[in-house]
Amino acid sequence: MKKKFPLTPILFLLPSVFFLGVFIYIPLVQNFYNSFFDFNVFSNSKEFVGLAQIKTLFQDDVIMISIMNNFKYAIISVIFQIFFALILASILEDKLFRKVAPALRVIYFIPVMISISVIALLFSFIYNPQMGLLNSFLELVGLEAWARPWLGDSTSAIYSVIAMSQWQSIGLITMLFIVAIQKIPNELYEAADMDGAGRIRKFFSVTLPQVKETMFVNLLITVTGSILVFNEPFILTNGGPGNSSMTLAVHMYQTGFSRDNMGYASTIATLIFLLSAIFALIQIKVSKTGKED
Amino acid sequence: MKKRLVCLLAVLLLTGILAACGSDSSNDAESSGDEVVIDFFHRWPNEPRKSFYDQKIEEFEEANPNVTINVDSVLNDSYKEKVRVLVSNDDLPDIFSSWSDTFAENLVSSGRIKALNDLIESDPEWSGKIIESQYEGFTFDDTTYGIPFTVDGKAFFYNKAIFEEVGVDVPETYDEFIEVLDELQAAGYETPLVEGLTNAWAISHYMGTIFHRVVDSETLAQDYNPETAAFTDEGYVRGLEIFQELTTYMGDVSTAIDHEAARNMFSAGEVPILYMQFAEILMVEDAGDVDFGFFNFPEVTDGNGSPDSLTGAPEGWMLSENAPEEAEEFLKFLTSEETAAEFTEVDGQLNAIEGGVTEENANPTSYEAYQIVLDSPETAPWFDNAVDITIADIFMRGGQDLATGQTTPEQIIEEVQSQIAK
Repeated sequence: MKKKFPLTPILFLLPSVFFLGVFIYIPLVQNFYNSFFDFNVFSNSKEFVGLAQIKTLFQDDVIMISIMNNFKYAIISVIFQIFFALILASILEDKLFRKVAPALRVIYFIPVMISISVIALLFSFIYNPQMGLLNSFLELVGLEAWARPWLGDSTSAIYSVIAMSQWQSIGLITMLFIVAIQKIPNELYEAADMDGAGRIRKFFSVTLPQVKETMFVNLLITVTGSILVFNEPFILTNGGPGNSSMTLAVHMYQTGFSRDNMGYASTIATLIFLLSAIFALIQIKVSKTGKED
Repeated sequence: MKKRLVCLLAVLLLTGILAACGSDSSNDAESSGDEVVIDFFHRWPNEPRKSFYDQKIEEFEEANPNVTINVDSVLNDSYKEKVRVLVSNDDLPDIFSSWSDTFAENLVSSGRIKALNDLIESDPEWSGKIIESQYEGFTFDDTTYGIPFTVDGKAFFYNKAIFEEVGVDVPETYDEFIEVLDELQAAGYETPLVEGLTNAWAISHYMGTIFHRVVDSETLAQDYNPETAAFTDEGYVRGLEIFQELTTYMGDVSTAIDHEAARNMFSAGEVPILYMQFAEILMVEDAGDVDFGFFNFPEVTDGNGSPDSLTGAPEGWMLSENAPEEAEEFLKFLTSEETAAEFTEVDGQLNAIEGGVTEENANPTSYEAYQIVLDSPETAPWFDNAVDITIADIFMRGGQDLATGQTTPEQIIEEVQSQIAK
């Protein structure tokens, strides 16, 4: 047996490496390089400013607001999209729901397929202070004291945006969990039945350990997604009122395109990259994924 | 054999990708033979102006069969962002709309905008019709880069019926204005004044006008220039306090709606007063049946600024440096007397073309507004176009925070000054 140079797999990898290089890695390096310069989209030349942009980053109050908002996004998303979605998925896969489960699956998944712009428009009607569904509903059930201009109130704006995201994304995560639950061998449940385990016991002792891997993937999707979130706050509130619903990505966009400061926007982009990379690394380390099986 | 096939496939895939990347640039060769394609970009995807320009495009294409016009349009704030992206590379459309002052100056600084002095001089029959004073916002270092078309002014529109019913008169001073608002509130109009504060520009319009009332023009000129800006005058704090006081009459609703929603409330007769542009006259008339008049932002008696300047600046058209000759013709066509007259009839916005707005083709309200624009002793530019955008942004976001009670005028000025210090 002579060892041959494995040319075939490399050739198969080439196109994807090429795409990743052109669209991910080169821009990433370029962005890092740009963050040392001061320039805007109109200017033809860049001025080297060294670490000045990073200094600005530490003096920028909006960055702190944005990071807090991104964290709120991540925490609430994890609670809703990991825990509730898992519970939802195991309920849908329960024998009791066999008949209606396919229909319910479709219903939960539909929001995932609607464009985010359409959803944002829809929710801006729901949140509308004058004729919005939400305030009208609260009035109807006698809770008009809770009614408020949801997106125009700086304490509720970010939570209103987060709530919309949960509504939209829970279907996707539920679907991923359903697939994972369906792959659990039936023998495990039968054995649990024989040991006299009830529904809740089976959920904790069979379902939960078996979907651990999927849970990790979902956690990664949700947390990095929360750090990158742009569309929802951008369309619903544009970061306002004031900076109360600003996220890092919206701040980056506005710095670059509304305030004409591309260099600083690149610095914010680098920060976003570092944050999401750190979170991904922590999660990979903690969950020790891929080590089992 | 198999391996060779794989090699071939991989190479094919890669060349395919590379070819796809390259092919985009070959589209740029626009004028092949006699066929000319003009890229036209404006900021009115809404009616009635969208149809108006679609029709003008059709007319121009009919008269010039060799010309095809590609049109694209997006709304206000998005337009500002998109144009900024387009001007940063060579994809700038041949002819596009632009605001005057700093917005235009920024575009010009990219070096991709065509100077129009030769065009203006070469055809006096056309250019002579354009009201001379409106060129100012498009002229930098004696070179003109844009042709002004629409003119505008900002004033408080008031519902005459409500004013009569409550028994209040048009206020002459800011203190009287507050009295009027109080009286309207007492008469049951919970929010006598509304504004769509989610639109940053709506806030900047307020602030621009207020600053012109309370800060003397020399200081303003100095602060509007990015090189000398200081914003240390006490008038700015006073100005922001005025804005803050006015937001207390706007109710909770204003921070959650946009200007269009506010206008609809006014048109429906729900709200007695709204700060609007003359450009909106026809929209108000179309949307409802209210009898309205207007008054300029009243004089602030203890302010150092101009008591009666009118806020409003022209908007116009620009050409990209590489625009074909046909685009110049199209520009002349868009700003001709005939187009302007028709524009007044269809759209209602006033324009800078002599003979474009007459007593015959404009409705009486618009004509009254036109006279106000022509007679105004001093005009103030739109604030967000007049100052450096990072400064304007602090004021506009600060305005939202003032309305929701999250900040104070002093804090905003402090933030502005620390931004300048950078």
